[in-house]
Amino acid sequence: MAANKYSLTIYRIFFPLALLLLLTGCHSYVLDDAQYDLRNSFAAGNFEKSEHLLNRFEEKNIYRSKDAVLKNLEGGMIHHFAGSYDTSNTYFHSAEQKIDEAYTKSISRGLAALLANDNTLVYDGEPYEDVYLNAFKSLNYVHLHNWEAALVETRRMAYKMEQLDIRIKGIAEAFAKKDTAEAREWKSGEVNLQNSAFSHYLSAILYAKSGHVDDARIEYEKLGTALEEQKRLRRYPVPRHSGLKEILYPNRYNVLLSGFTGQSPVKEQEDIRIWLNGYDGDEDESFYVKFSLPKLTLVETRVQNVRAVINDEKVVPLKLIEEMDVVSAEVYSAKQPIIYTRAMLRATAKATGSHLIANAVRKENKGLGALFDILGIIGQETTEKADLRSWQTLPGQAWMNVVDLPLGTHEIRMEYVAANGDVLYTDIFDVIIAEDIHLELVESIYSY
Amino acid sequence: MKYALLTTLLIGFLFTGCRPSNKVTRMDPSQTTDLSGRWNDTDARLVSEEMIHDALTKPWLNRFNRNHQKPPTVIVGHVRNESMEHIDTEVFTKEMERAFVNSGSVNVVASSEERAQIRQERREQQEYASYETTKAMAKEMGADFMIIGNISSIVDETVDRRTVAVFYTINLELVNVETNQKVWINNKKIKKLIERKNYRG
Repeated sequence: MAANKYSLTIYRIFFPLALLLLLTGCHSYVLDDAQYDLRNSFAAGNFEKSEHLLNRFEEKNIYRSKDAVLKNLEGGMIHHFAGSYDTSNTYFHSAEQKIDEAYTKSISRGLAALLANDNTLVYDGEPYEDVYLNAFKSLNYVHLHNWEAALVETRRMAYKMEQLDIRIKGIAEAFAKKDTAEAREWKSGEVNLQNSAFSHYLSAILYAKSGHVDDARIEYEKLGTALEEQKRLRRYPVPRHSGLKEILYPNRYNVLLSGFTGQSPVKEQEDIRIWLNGYDGDEDESFYVKFSLPKLTLVETRVQNVRAVINDEKVVPLKLIEEMDVVSAEVYSAKQPIIYTRAMLRATAKATGSHLIANAVRKENKGLGALFDILGIIGQETTEKADLRSWQTLPGQAWMNVVDLPLGTHEIRMEYVAANGDVLYTDIFDVIIAEDIHLELVESIYSY
Repeated sequence: MKYALLTTLLIGFLFTGCRPSNKVTRMDPSQTTDLSGRWNDTDARLVSEEMIHDALTKPWLNRFNRNHQKPPTVIVGHVRNESMEHIDTEVFTKEMERAFVNSGSVNVVASSEERAQIRQERREQQEYASYETTKAMAKEMGADFMIIGNISSIVDETVDRRTVAVFYTINLELVNVETNQKVWINNKKIKKLIERKNYRG
């Protein structure tokens, strides 16, 4: 009688929970597909299609409230390169707010993530994403000729990077203070990955152009540190810091040339399925475990150089200021052990739990026990799902340079060049230099 | 029964955590609402109240009245935003304009952006309006003083980002358009401490 009551309890708890977990697992696959489509249309330079896709995904509620940061980052970037700068700012502004709100972690979501997978957690953005969004917002404002607002964004990104630096160094210093035995030297890590060369470069220019000489100098110095720190990771040579000093002299340039290449790294799911064998007397105690781990792969760009051809006469090479894809891959690799450990613990707990339930049922009814075993496997297959969410439309590399052009209209042709010298892609701009122009921005992207 | 209730509660708890809910309550605009810690209507109101009161009670006004036997004419210039937030400075400069006009002690003329629109209208009147109703050109009232200023902010936060302190300083100055003499300067300081929760339900 007691055993019957026990199995009844199991059914009552098990079935609703299983149903909930199955539903949770399904949505993440839909979001992955949506993100994949978005990446492809954006990489193809079809921003209209990307906009259309994003609207459709919003209508279909594919981005749930937990994915709001992601949706807004994608929206911000798509509209930025589509030239809808105000809309882009609205998206980026929401992304920033949502990142801020995500500081307070939801206990219920944490519990759900323990039962299902990490996709139930709020996507709260990486610290470098929080900085890059301000960089693109400030570019939006430069396009809109709203200098004051561009400077607000500059201050925000400078502040965020400073706070990250304090946080990283603060942790190292705290460890150093605790380590009275002086067993080892506590440093803030070999690479301060949150130190964005691209953001420092942009900040230095905007500060210099608005007459904030000291702020520009500080940003320029930090740019040097960022370039030095990222040297270890980069695939391409780092530009000489002293070669970028011209950005400190605002009267020597009036056009900022920027070219973005490549794509952000791709996260793919790697599934590991194993049978753990064991015997309890004559009983077969083998059970099935499935781990789903996110694996990050860099997307190689075909572009080896970016140059601007001005009025068919002057050629200005752009300097590779930052490899954003490498930065995001490195940040991910630092977090990987935590993600992997959590996935393994969760998968093992799920497998053990379903196995125990199946065993309990088997004692009552052998056939039903076997059915529960199968249900357990299906449950694991469906709910174990790697968190593949990441900012799909973030470009891979940022190339920049400044140039001084006389008053009048100029044709600037941005050329993306392959290793063999072939021009892979060309983007042409007509730039008008007027008396009152602080800084004209020429910006283009080629994602392959 | 007990277990069914427990399961329902657990599922309900999981869904409650995910679902945002909207509730709208109308309230008195003068009531303080600090939601995010960012610059808000209360800050703008505090600035305008302080600035209006100070500007209308300081000696520059009486001195001008005594010397010129007429109220001064003021134009609102640019209040630079040097903070880390996008702040609409017009919220409090418009309040100041309203208080100046309603006090009867200070005349206010249209700002440069507003003027462009009015000048366009006047130009069109010369061509399209009847002779009797056409407004004359070159009859604008020149300002005696211009209000300029800036807002800056200092943000400081703990290493764990749990506590954030924001300090705003708002400077406003009244500058004589003819002589560049500053006749009134005031500043308002606002400090906020934002404490964030680590966890919610």
